Amino acid sequence: MILTRIEASGFRNLEGFSEFGAGLNIFYGDNAQGKTNWLEAIYVLGNTKSFRTSQVRECISFGANECLLRGETLRGTVEKQLQVLVAESSKELYVNGKREAVIRYIGNLDVFVFSLEEMSVIRGEPKERRRFIDRGVVSQTPAFLNTLSRYNQVIKQKNRLLAEASKSNSPERFYNQVEAWNEQLIDLGAAIHDGRRDYVERLNLVLDENDHGRAIFGAERINLRYKSQLEGKGDIDRYSELFRERLALRLRTEVAAGHSLLGPHRDDLEILADNREVARYGSAGQQRSALLLLDLAQVSIYTSTYEESPVLLIDDIDAELDRGRIEALLSEIEGQAQTFVSTSRRAIADRYKDRASVYWVDRGRAIVDSGSGKGNIEPSESERSREHTRSAGDELEQEILSDG
Amino acid sequence: MLDYAEPVTKLIDELKRLPGVGHKSAQRLAFYILRADRAETERLVEAINEVKEKIISCSVCNNITDVDPCRYCSNPARDRRIILVVEEPYNLVTIEKTREYKGLYHVLHGALSPIRGIGPDELKIKNLFERLRVEEVEEIILATNPNTEGEATANYLSKLLKPLGMRVTRIAMGVPVGSDLEYADEVTMHKALANRHEI
Ligand SMILES: [Zn+2]
Repeated sequence: MILTRIEASGFRNLEGFSEFGAGLNIFYGDNAQGKTNWLEAIYVLGNTKSFRTSQVRECISFGANECLLRGETLRGTVEKQLQVLVAESSKELYVNGKREAVIRYIGNLDVFVFSLEEMSVIRGEPKERRRFIDRGVVSQTPAFLNTLSRYNQVIKQKNRLLAEASKSNSPERFYNQVEAWNEQLIDLGAAIHDGRRDYVERLNLVLDENDHGRAIFGAERINLRYKSQLEGKGDIDRYSELFRERLALRLRTEVAAGHSLLGPHRDDLEILADNREVARYGSAGQQRSALLLLDLAQVSIYTSTYEESPVLLIDDIDAELDRGRIEALLSEIEGQAQTFVSTSRRAIADRYKDRASVYWVDRGRAIVDSGSGKGNIEPSESERSREHTRSAGDELEQEILSDG
Repeated sequence: MLDYAEPVTKLIDELKRLPGVGHKSAQRLAFYILRADRAETERLVEAINEVKEKIISCSVCNNITDVDPCRYCSNPARDRRIILVVEEPYNLVTIEKTREYKGLYHVLHGALSPIRGIGPDELKIKNLFERLRVEEVEEIILATNPNTEGEATANYLSKLLKPLGMRVTRIAMGVPVGSDLEYADEVTMHKALANRHEI
């Protein structure tokens, strides 16, 4: 699938529209001009959510009541118009002018983002890694979302019950009720554990295949290990039995603690580079490459499941990535998926202008670079105003640290 | 200053208390009432009053009724060996529509929800066990909603019921039904009953 055009109004600082090539598209420009906003607009158009904020209404530009994104997609020979209208307390989605529920809207334009925000998957709390896997499982099995949401509801209810029980003079009065909630927790928890573990196995297969890490970045071999909280407590392959056993064993402890202590909401994912934890031992560059390899593995699973490529966004491609790794990454993607890249470095735009459509972003407008491979029309006034950003990051290009 | 004359504002405010009625709908209803002829509005007032005066809850099954015991409980044609447990009286209507079920009912008037402060004592559970002491019941069908609260309620009841020796079953609700029996049609409900399983 590809996005051929997007038009934004009331969306952050964006102005006007942009038309795109089927391959590599590069947005470059100074900071705060709106490069990332264009990527975000594409993401919101496809996924109806943002990758930068949990509240998509924060994308409404200052002084506007709502924001509107309109896009045109092409799958094979089928064209579609997509539209997302976000207001303070509502979100309306349209396909070919007809209002659709989110469940029917999603899937028309699947967008994956590789961004620095995502570095929290490597460096952040376990919940960030759980969310990363969950997103992947959901993309394979949408019903998993329902399982997660029910699990979270049960945990909330159980926590409230345990809090009440822990304050009671006769906590044993609550045991029957806690067990009633545990019954569901076991089924839902096992579905979550198994779903995540299967997905991590699939990621590992892709990562092992062709020794991806070495092939792309000429460096580390990345592996994953799903780390269940119940590991070492019994036969993890029979998770629901083990979970049931542990819950029964620790009923009193949970009641005394006043909140739930057991379940896959306490699990984690280990990300290993050459068998060492990349969060602890990897350089910044190794960490970003590891993340990109995970992202690419997710894309590869998506592509083999749906026999179609999603749209890729790479925000701030030069951050923590040296020239060699950027080249390796873009070569890997080239010809496989429509890709949108943002960068503040003119040199990158210049280097790829023969292979890409290049857009100079200035005060929210994306202006087609005449020198770029698509050979689009070029408004001449922008040509001159661009001159002074040209030099900004270029000299730095040579000095960017390579990873040791 | 009020948007409308005080009596109109008052009516809108009262209508807004009704579940699922927002400001706009309340306004629309209020203006409908305002324009309707007197006989029609009096019928509405009368219906509301009648419901409040005559409707009581059945002392056996807690269903809403105008006679006690209710028409299900006092009907000799119904199978007294089976009791089907639902959360709300309107769930019972959904089951009745299938014309499959011929047993008795028990209405809990809610489901377990610690977050909303609803524990076993807030539900009509005690008089279910009183019924089981005096009546010869062979099967209890748990037809609480298929959402997390309904499931927890079913699990809780089955824990208490099973030691009493009767068959305890749960209706089989698939995911597509959603989370509330209210939205299940007759066909789905028929299947849910037919495929009920022991828990
Ligand atoms: Zn009755």
